[in-house]
Amino acid sequence: MGRFAPAFLRTTAFRVTLLSAGLLAASSLVILTFVYFASVGVSLSRTDAAVEDEVATVEARFRDGGIQSVNRYILQRSVGGSDFLYLLVHPTGRRISGNLSGLPDAVADDDGRLQFQYMRPPAGGEAESEKDERLARGRIAPLPSGYQIFVGMDVEDEDRLIGGMLRAVLAASALALALGVASGVFISRRFATRLDQINRVARAVEGGDLRRRAPRNHTGDELDELAANFNAMLDRIEELMARMKNAGDSIAHDLRSPLTRMRNRLDDALREEGDLEAREASLSQAVSDADELLGVFNAILSISRLEAGERRQSFSRLDPAVIVEDLCELYEPVCEESGLRFAAEMEPGLEVRGDRGLLSQALANLLDNAVKYTPDGGAITLRLRKCASGEIEMSVTDTGPGIPPADRLRATQRFVRLDQSRTKPGSGLGLSLVKAIADIHGAQLELSDGPGVLDGHGPGLRAALVLPAVKQVA
Amino acid sequence: MRILIIEDDREAANYIRKGLRESGHVVDHAADGEEGLEMARAADYDVLVVDRMLPKMDGLTIVETLRAEDDRSPVLILSALGEVDHRVEGLKAGGDDYLVKPYAFAELLARVEALVRRRDPETVRTRLTVGDLEMDLLARTVVRGEEEILLQPREFRLLEFLMKHSGQVVTRTMLLEKVWDYHFDPQTNVIDVHISRLRSKIDKPFDRALLHTVRGAGYRLQA
Repeated sequence: MGRFAPAFLRTTAFRVTLLSAGLLAASSLVILTFVYFASVGVSLSRTDAAVEDEVATVEARFRDGGIQSVNRYILQRSVGGSDFLYLLVHPTGRRISGNLSGLPDAVADDDGRLQFQYMRPPAGGEAESEKDERLARGRIAPLPSGYQIFVGMDVEDEDRLIGGMLRAVLAASALALALGVASGVFISRRFATRLDQINRVARAVEGGDLRRRAPRNHTGDELDELAANFNAMLDRIEELMARMKNAGDSIAHDLRSPLTRMRNRLDDALREEGDLEAREASLSQAVSDADELLGVFNAILSISRLEAGERRQSFSRLDPAVIVEDLCELYEPVCEESGLRFAAEMEPGLEVRGDRGLLSQALANLLDNAVKYTPDGGAITLRLRKCASGEIEMSVTDTGPGIPPADRLRATQRFVRLDQSRTKPGSGLGLSLVKAIADIHGAQLELSDGPGVLDGHGPGLRAALVLPAVKQVA
Repeated sequence: MRILIIEDDREAANYIRKGLRESGHVVDHAADGEEGLEMARAADYDVLVVDRMLPKMDGLTIVETLRAEDDRSPVLILSALGEVDHRVEGLKAGGDDYLVKPYAFAELLARVEALVRRRDPETVRTRLTVGDLEMDLLARTVVRGEEEILLQPREFRLLEFLMKHSGQVVTRTMLLEKVWDYHFDPQTNVIDVHISRLRSKIDKPFDRALLHTVRGAGYRLQA
């Protein structure tokens, strides 16, 4: 196929259809040819058997009554509209009787059969012109004393039938091939058109138009599935791009305030030449501003790494109680220091699949938030339990102000700090980091109301990591 | 002490060099992996600070090569890669500590100085002493002066780490890593609270404070 052949001719579909059409045509040719030879064979051997019977009859007559008896028989049969064709020949080669005008000049085949054209004499009442040339088949049998007899049959009808069959076989094969090619062209054209649509979308996207989507016909066929997957991929890319842009804006925003603060403090330090103590205070504040910036960077890096999903290889089976216990031990003092009651409830003997460091980090983040946002006199509960569904739930519940339901989804997005005043330390990345950790563990991060409003506290927030049940190895 | 920095980023190298010199150390610098390996072989350094990604030869290869040549110089690996796997890789290659960029200089200094002590003959110490504070690692007891101090297991480990690095600054991150085995920074002052609890047990009832806060860096246990 040439380089500049139409696109559809180059498609795999076209080649496959063409191949299958060719195979179909070839196989129908083989089958029909077999049928043809089988039926031709049956028809010929029936004729030949009848001829043999008739030859035997003639020979019997010769034995019983000699040539006269045979002649009588033939005259009688020739007139009486027999199925057979006869020609009785004298030893000299002269025609004696029969319904054929002369011996055919056809050459006998290996079995001594002759096949030739003859003129059928018109039946009674038919005009001379109606005489027609027909095909005969039979054999010459020698009779005693040098006489010869040809006995044959008219096989014109069979021949026509066979010829018709042969033509039908060829026509059918040709038709199969033609249909195959036509359907190949049709299918591949559709295929090529639809692929071309997808390709055009891909090129448009590559050119910068992220909005384009491949058209779908919703038949659920492979191309439709391809288009669907292709579109899903584009959706994901678009989402990531949007998120990246959003993150870029937020990073700029989040870094600007601590940078500005740091700059001002350094500026102060420069001007506080005389007052060493004030200068040192400004400088150490600047350093903690810088640390805050580093914290933001580290959080961004961690989230990116998590979202890239590299960490899954380090997963192992863990007892979540160990994770929870260690965190209790780490956070209990800080809670007490902040005037918060701390309680832990845990179910022993459970199993999760994950990374100890990451799960600890996620819970530590939730605990950090709880400590930061729960006012003095409140309470924090760290809870580990197995749900009825078999999932493992690790949750942190506090009695702080909570997050209004409308804001909960937004809270897990990057850089969203619901507390717009930004009075609390933190990168605003805490919950999105927890979400990223939940995601790579196949876990859900659920935010819901805490214990409710009581004594000026609440309604509180319950943040739960719901990890899938560990599949038991049989 | 004598420190070799193998770091291709000049800005970063100068920053570390200046800081370490100001802290009284002698500092050499190599800008690529091959030069760094040659310098490390040629002289006896107390600590090597090796960037993980270097031109010509990467940091892990340098450390592996030195270790294969039975050079036990303490190595601090610097890396822009913060993954746990990478840290494990770095330590497996023979690094003694691993610090992720970006870092505060105080963190680097504390870690470099903490590494030096490792060169002391690794005798198994069963007893640690700082001033009148004594820790018996076998009996798991702590005594200050005449008084026995009762500690929780984690407080014991925290004090053990501080005592092993007495006179040196240890950062909060170091404590989280070495005492709690956590490789993230909590956003609340959890470590400070643990330190203050420990302080109330080992320092409060006594005249002289041993556990000092080093501003902008961390803590130091010193008699």
